[in-house]
Amino acid sequence: MTIVGELLARHHERLSGFPAPLEQHFEAGLRALAPVLTPSQLQTWAETGVDLTGLSLRSWEAALEYFRAAPLIPDGASWEAIETLGHEAMTMAAESAPLAVSFLRSAPQTMETIGSSHVRQWADMGRKLYKGNWKSSALAGQFFEISPGLYAVLRPGQASRLIVFVDELSRHSYELAAACLASAPEVLGRLEDDDRSPFLGFAIELAQSSWADTRLYFERGAHLLHKVHAPLRERFLLLTAQAARGQSRSAFQYLEESAVALGELEPDEHFSVLELAEQLAPYSPYAAMDFITAVPQVLTRIRIDELRGWQEAGLRILQVSHDGGEAYFRLQSSRSEDIIETLSSRVELSRVGEILRLYCKALTGRNVAVQSSSALADKGIGWVNENHASTEGTTIFLPEVMETFHDKTDNFAAYKVFSTHQSAHLEFGSFEFDFERPGAHFGNRRASLPAAGNATTHMERFFDLFPDRRLASDLFTIAEDCRIDGAIKREYGGIRKPLIRMQRRELGNRPQIQALPLRQAFVENLVRASLEGLDAVLWPRSRAEEMSSALGILNLLAEPGALVEDAAEATLRLYQVAITIPNILEDMPSSSWGPVEPGQPGEMMPGEGGESGGEGMQMEMGDVSAGGDEQDYKSPDEVGFRGDFKPELVQLLMKMREDAQGGEAGDQSPTPLTPEQLQELLEKSAEIDLDQLMEGDLDATTGMFMENLMREAGTPSSDQDGNDGDPTADNSTGTEEGDEPLIPIVTIYYYDEWDFRAQDYKPRWCAVKESKLESGEEDFYENAIREHAGLVAQTRKQFELMKPELFRKIKRLPEGEDFDLDAAIEWMVERRAGASPQEKIYWRRNKIDRDVAVAFLIDMSASTDEEINKKDKKMDDDDYNDDPRKYLSWWVSRRKQELSAPPKRIIDLEKESAVLLMTALEAIGDQYGIYGFSGYGRDNVEFFVIKDFDEHLDDKVKKRLDKITPIRSTRMGPAIRHATYKLMKTDAKVRILFLLSDGRPQDHGYGRDRTEKEYAIHDTKQALNEAKREGITPFALTVDRAGHDYLKTMCADMGYEVVADIEALPSRLPTLYRRLTE
Amino acid sequence: MAETAAKGSTVWAVEEYAVHEEPYYLPIGDEVELFQTAYEQRIPVLFKGPTGCGKTRFVEYMAYKLGRTVTRVSRGDGEAADHRMPLVTVACHEDLTASDLVGRYLLDTDGTRWVDGPLTRAVKVGAICYLDEVVEARKDTTVLIHPLTDYRRLLPIEKLGQVVEAADGFLLVISYNPGYQSALKDLKHSTRQRFIAIEFNYPPRDQEAAIIAHEAGCSSQAATDLSKLGEKVRNLKEHGLGEGVSTRLLIYAGRLMAKGIPPRRACQVAVTWALTDDLEVQRSIEEVVTSIFE
Repeated sequence: MTIVGELLARHHERLSGFPAPLEQHFEAGLRALAPVLTPSQLQTWAETGVDLTGLSLRSWEAALEYFRAAPLIPDGASWEAIETLGHEAMTMAAESAPLAVSFLRSAPQTMETIGSSHVRQWADMGRKLYKGNWKSSALAGQFFEISPGLYAVLRPGQASRLIVFVDELSRHSYELAAACLASAPEVLGRLEDDDRSPFLGFAIELAQSSWADTRLYFERGAHLLHKVHAPLRERFLLLTAQAARGQSRSAFQYLEESAVALGELEPDEHFSVLELAEQLAPYSPYAAMDFITAVPQVLTRIRIDELRGWQEAGLRILQVSHDGGEAYFRLQSSRSEDIIETLSSRVELSRVGEILRLYCKALTGRNVAVQSSSALADKGIGWVNENHASTEGTTIFLPEVMETFHDKTDNFAAYKVFSTHQSAHLEFGSFEFDFERPGAHFGNRRASLPAAGNATTHMERFFDLFPDRRLASDLFTIAEDCRIDGAIKREYGGIRKPLIRMQRRELGNRPQIQALPLRQAFVENLVRASLEGLDAVLWPRSRAEEMSSALGILNLLAEPGALVEDAAEATLRLYQVAITIPNILEDMPSSSWGPVEPGQPGEMMPGEGGESGGEGMQMEMGDVSAGGDEQDYKSPDEVGFRGDFKPELVQLLMKMREDAQGGEAGDQSPTPLTPEQLQELLEKSAEIDLDQLMEGDLDATTGMFMENLMREAGTPSSDQDGNDGDPTADNSTGTEEGDEPLIPIVTIYYYDEWDFRAQDYKPRWCAVKESKLESGEEDFYENAIREHAGLVAQTRKQFELMKPELFRKIKRLPEGEDFDLDAAIEWMVERRAGASPQEKIYWRRNKIDRDVAVAFLIDMSASTDEEINKKDKKMDDDDYNDDPRKYLSWWVSRRKQELSAPPKRIIDLEKESAVLLMTALEAIGDQYGIYGFSGYGRDNVEFFVIKDFDEHLDDKVKKRLDKITPIRSTRMGPAIRHATYKLMKTDAKVRILFLLSDGRPQDHGYGRDRTEKEYAIHDTKQALNEAKREGITPFALTVDRAGHDYLKTMCADMGYEVVADIEALPSRLPTLYRRLTE
Repeated sequence: MAETAAKGSTVWAVEEYAVHEEPYYLPIGDEVELFQTAYEQRIPVLFKGPTGCGKTRFVEYMAYKLGRTVTRVSRGDGEAADHRMPLVTVACHEDLTASDLVGRYLLDTDGTRWVDGPLTRAVKVGAICYLDEVVEARKDTTVLIHPLTDYRRLLPIEKLGQVVEAADGFLLVISYNPGYQSALKDLKHSTRQRFIAIEFNYPPRDQEAAIIAHEAGCSSQAATDLSKLGEKVRNLKEHGLGEGVSTRLLIYAGRLMAKGIPPRRACQVAVTWALTDDLEVQRSIEEVVTSIFE
């Protein structure tokens, strides 16, 4: 009998009690192992299996798996491995049979990957997850099930970290732990081997601090981690883990934001960014994370090597105050902005636009606007480049940012050179070209040329002279720019230096001249010469003469007194030279090119040119058609600081504007432009590149283009139906009537907000949206007056008494208008009595000015909706006199009263008080404005104008009063700041800000959470302080009975009052006001 | 009579002060002839114009010039050099009352003593009385101005119960600056229409350059640049600048430059900072300065 048979027989009795497959698998297992094991080993194996069956009710299932596993065990498995397997199965089954089942079921496959030596470790991991309840058992079972797949990805050490993580997570949620475990092979499989341990390490941190985030982490973490430069991933995760360790903040969000931020940077920048962040971490890991997140945004303004300076300044703040430092790196502090601004070398148009506008206005003496070039490109009227300076006659367009140089002052100087050049076009009349007017230096050869018929503008007529319009346009641009730069240098000595520097810089960027076809090389030389780069002029020596005379012509333009007409004449002459030069690539050795000295423009001067003009000229003008080897003529590269010069288009626009404005006056433009003329002009002009302007077929493009031009010039559009739904067209016509527009016009103002923790302002934090309050019924005003008739009369009288007499007599002065008789007599008496009397015996009238402006700020928050006499009502049964027969009629009348007069709310009293005060103020003649405020969140602080300072108390205002209704929250700070701004615009000597509210400031995001009071109160206090600093007297009046405690903080050294009896408000308010201003 | 005070300054009685040396004045238009003709016929004159454009200088210049003419006509002999046209200038302010102009009783050891005000003195000696910025004064001054400016040429002195007939040479000249006054401080029509009005403005660039060069003693290049600066800054008038930069300020800048202060710095203190406190406008003016001066 074989050992197999013997063992089968021996254990038959014990196994027969179980379902048949058990014994079948036992036999199969024996047969499979018999060749590998010694008989005694086989015996031990069999006994272990049989023992398994007896451990618990269902442990036979484990035994079944044990037997089934035997044939599957990998060939190389040692007896020790098999023995350990049995041993582990026994221990496990003793605790939980299902656990042992899953263990044994995946054992053969797992052993294949981990090798037989790690079986115990593996089993331990599973056991670690098992906590004795069914959920943990399921989790552990799940672990064994996925083990084969898991070990295909992970090394054993990594797996044990995973288990630590899953174990940690399972304390909080088995479901989440199971989900993470299930996705682990796939997630970890996507990571590189080196990243897995750090990834799991962070997962453990996350499970400990904000475990709920782990789901997101497993979903997106791997993807995010890939954004970080590979060698730095572990450091990055360690840093993030520090932030995760803090309580109550969302760690994953930090990871996500900072990883995304790093993803926006170049990988080689990661090292320095991370290093800087690590320096912050000891003080605040949050600041470190915020720093990383902020870097991409900061780097749009400063260079990477300047980043350290910004970080260091923040670090110093962080060392002193955590809140301050964190706000700094969240970019929520003015200091942070300031430092970026100081470090940054670039200059933004939005910051210097106003200065440049005034500068250009000063230079030109015209009301020019300054806008960014992209605004001009957006208009679609012929200018396409968003980065070039230009002007269309009324506005100077400049690039949005200037970062050419590594120094702020240099960049600003560049802006100045740009705007000076554009201003100079306006100042020195580039666009006032008159075809008939002779030049100062060149005379008027134009006149002798045959005119091409009906041109719309002088510029067009001039360009019509030339067969090659592009060449002419380029030459005119060079000539005119040369004249303008000459004039600038002469007139503005101070700008000469930066201008010359810009010219030098441009010269350095010019193309290789010998690589250009000859005619283009000629034009290029002119550009260089116009940039004062005579030394950069290179020209074939064989043709030196033509270049020399051309340079002479150009030189003359920089002379004092040169007019735009001179530039035109120069263009004529240069053109005639240029057209004779073939546009071919000269195949000459570079030695045959040499510098050229400017000659006398003499040979081209009008003297002899005039006579030979006439027909002779016609020939000289040449022909456009390029023959033979000639290449198509291309315009020279632009000169950066000169921007785009489009005189023809500007003259056209000017003409169109004139047409649109002075249509009837007529003397300027007897014949308005027809669309046909316009189209013709646009098609031939060299200044407009229609292809570049828009896509689509040419007809549609010109049509659109003409529409744009007409709108720009203010000409009524030719086809009104064509552009419905165009917002600009709608706006320009809606509001002609005196009525207020249906949709209120909202103006947005931005204000800083004070963060008392950071002790710094959050820059441009709140958007205050100012609009006129919509109109309601006029009845309200009248009713309020009627209801409080007595009070109105009384207040008015009191206020009229306050009205100052224009002059007040002041007595006992050392000198004055006349004697004060009493004092004079006294003086005489005393003198006679021998005393030395006071010599103050005169009087004079002094003018007393009452010059008061007051802004009332009414709280329109939702809480003002509360009814005020709700409680009192129940008690208010006094007028019912216990007679049950009368009760019914009493009740009816009372009910009627309630219905006809709905209960009053706080807001109603606020409104009525406002009405009363208005009548009082009208009586005394103070300037006043009444404003309401509400809103939700910092982006939406609503500021309603009920009566502006410059409005009169008319029906419109009265109607608006009716619409004061409770809306939303109370963000007082920005409302106060805006009211301050309004007050500062008045010219009164005494300015008062009167704040009328029903409770403490409160808003979404106005503080760390909804319940925090300090932030809002501090900001409000700061806003009131700012007002005070401006010389405004703030006064707060509140109907919140709990008002005293926060008002004490808010209005520490200012006037405030809590009106205990709310219903007294209408009478109290005018009294208070009077006291304040007397 | 003039007495010389301790520190070398000369003290004059109000009505005895006259312009002794010919003031520099560069006529821009026909204002000299106009004034001369008006004076010959004793037509009161109103000067309109911004501050620092030369109104006061002009009246001094005319006083000097007329003094000489008058002398020549009346005497014709050697005393010519001594006879000068007295000029009484009163800068008006908002508390200036009629009695400040006419006179008042002052206390003396023996009681009170009447003291003539500057206007009374001018009327008595026949001086040109120049009321600078007349709208600033109290409205009661008009009571005095009216009878003096029509055919009557009388000054009523209410407190003395007297009426003074103006001496032959007397002429009332007033100035006012329509630019910065509010609607409240406008000259009443009944007053306005008693004067012929000569309008002043900042001189054109070349003339202004000549004025600056003369007054400041700076180089003509500097003067040209300053006048250019003046023209540019005046373009900014409505922007926080109540008025454009005055010729006077430009001259100050020129003087600083003539004594070696660097041009940009001189313009900063004499123009930019003198004109406005608005930082943005300051910066803009600064940029114009740096564009013009190296």
